[in-house]
Amino acid sequence: MSFEELEHTADFLFRCRGSTKDELFEETASAMFSVMFENRKENKIQRKIKLSSDSPENLLLDFLSEILFISETENLVFSETRVKINNNSLEAVIYGGKFNINLHSGGTEIKGISRSGVEIKKYDGKYEISIIFDV
Amino acid sequence: MIKGIKRINEVEWELEKGFVPGMHVPAKFFLSEKLSETLEEGAIKQLANVATLPGIQKYSLAMPDIHWGYGFPIGGVAAFDMEEGIISPGGVGFDINCGVRLVTTPLHISEIGKVKRLINDLFHTVPTGVGTKADKTLTGNELDDMMHEGSKWAVEQGYGLKDDLIRCEDNGCMKEANIEYISKKARQRGLPQCGTLGSGNHFLEVQTVKEIMDEEAALKFGVSKDNVCIMIHCGSRGLGHQVCTDHLKDIESATKKYGINIPDGQLACAPINSDEGRAYFGAMAASANYAWANRQMITHMVREVFSKIYKTEYEDLKLVYDVSHNVAKFEEHTVDGIKKMVCVHRKGATRAFGPHCHDIPKELLEIGQPVIIPGSMGTSSYLLKGTLTAMEKTFGSTCHGSGRVYSRSKAKKEISGSAIKEELERQGIFVKATSNNVIAEEAPGAYKSSSEVVSVVHKAGISLEVARLEPLGVIKG
Repeated sequence: MSFEELEHTADFLFRCRGSTKDELFEETASAMFSVMFENRKENKIQRKIKLSSDSPENLLLDFLSEILFISETENLVFSETRVKINNNSLEAVIYGGKFNINLHSGGTEIKGISRSGVEIKKYDGKYEISIIFDV
Repeated sequence: MIKGIKRINEVEWELEKGFVPGMHVPAKFFLSEKLSETLEEGAIKQLANVATLPGIQKYSLAMPDIHWGYGFPIGGVAAFDMEEGIISPGGVGFDINCGVRLVTTPLHISEIGKVKRLINDLFHTVPTGVGTKADKTLTGNELDDMMHEGSKWAVEQGYGLKDDLIRCEDNGCMKEANIEYISKKARQRGLPQCGTLGSGNHFLEVQTVKEIMDEEAALKFGVSKDNVCIMIHCGSRGLGHQVCTDHLKDIESATKKYGINIPDGQLACAPINSDEGRAYFGAMAASANYAWANRQMITHMVREVFSKIYKTEYEDLKLVYDVSHNVAKFEEHTVDGIKKMVCVHRKGATRAFGPHCHDIPKELLEIGQPVIIPGSMGTSSYLLKGTLTAMEKTFGSTCHGSGRVYSRSKAKKEISGSAIKEELERQGIFVKATSNNVIAEEAPGAYKSSSEVVSVVHKAGISLEVARLEPLGVIKG
């Protein structure tokens, strides 16, 4: 796991890392899932996401917001993602299953993703980001 | 205390202009000596940063439940000039019109019987937690009407009584709603979620009135000692969250477009009188109406559960009041001796209008607006009344709750949800939650003491204690 939760009084703050930008996006999505659902194992249902944006940061925020939207409107629990980034566009597949109240509840609903302060940095050859999920 | 903060009196503190560069007005906050231990430097900086925004009036303000938020601190209040001022989604929050309502029942505590049964029934009737949907999905036209009319729509659909409307801030409807600015995505999220509680700090609590501090006001508000009451805390659900997400992006571009200098990107804002500002305000008002209708529909479910178990009449469950604690509104206030319209942002703060002010129900004109302050799980909640001091000092505003001091992750790591549940049961409080994690995250120790927060606003005179309520049982998402 290449994401860790840091102290934040009101919301969820994570530091996520990846060797590539693709991996960074995947890890950040996993961090988000860890807040939302318990027992994330299902991967039979797939959803594809295609997005373009004006910066890598906005691409990440749009990607996460899109996952939140799909999860809520289709009642799906996601466990992992595969992301392929090309410049400021991405193609991703997200894997999950139908939400089951007895199995998956206990997480916290994410109301939004803090937009500002989000900056993809590079340390020791790894991409890194700090991100706040507003709950 | 953090360097540069000036104490004005027992409960009022000030940051002079210059605390951070570019402040147009000083900042002021309300806090007791005891609560000052919980004060975060980040929250104080946020409070000062708000004072740099264009058109801000008098003070950037914070209530005693102040803590670190998104852009504005939670507990923040700021009013802006209608011509030169701005509107900022960071001053409202993701959960637009998150709010609280208090409903009285005709039951005395001795008549409540098994609280566990009542709480289980409420938990199964009111959709609660992540991933739950309402029994009924709205049609597109119903959603439109709901966003235009708020509580009135819900009452007309049979989810309440006409009398409920006068006991809501703005009668449960912001007339400025403009659904043109609600995206397809926001609509899609709103359709299946109307009449759902949500998760996190949202709750539905069965309470009893433990103490009356102001007999006259309590009588007028309709609460008496040992009376069983219901408190509902929730907001505009996914629709409001999506509206905030959608408009934050546009407002961020607008900040640059209009050349507004902000010390923190989270304070993205647009002139009130700009296309982007108007679009956000119209969409925010529509989301606020959705939240009022949502709380109204949950009230309907509660009335039905009580009718079933206790054979109470539908109309015997009476709404004391419904307050919004995440919203921006156009209101008339006195600035430098002149009455003028301003755009008041309340972000984790409650309106607390005093006697004879605008929008107070006729029968409560002499008393002031009821103010409802929920405690954290297992602790006291309060009913207060608004004051003229609040009109003078805080644009008619007061605190909204207890305010977190402990992060959710720390709470989850260090507190056992099941132990808290057992401990509360020993105290006679039955908790039903979707998981023990939620109970740990929301444990009483993760929050400031609601009694301490309320005693500060009472001492400051920005709202006055009327009654203290204690929980009997609670459902949480």
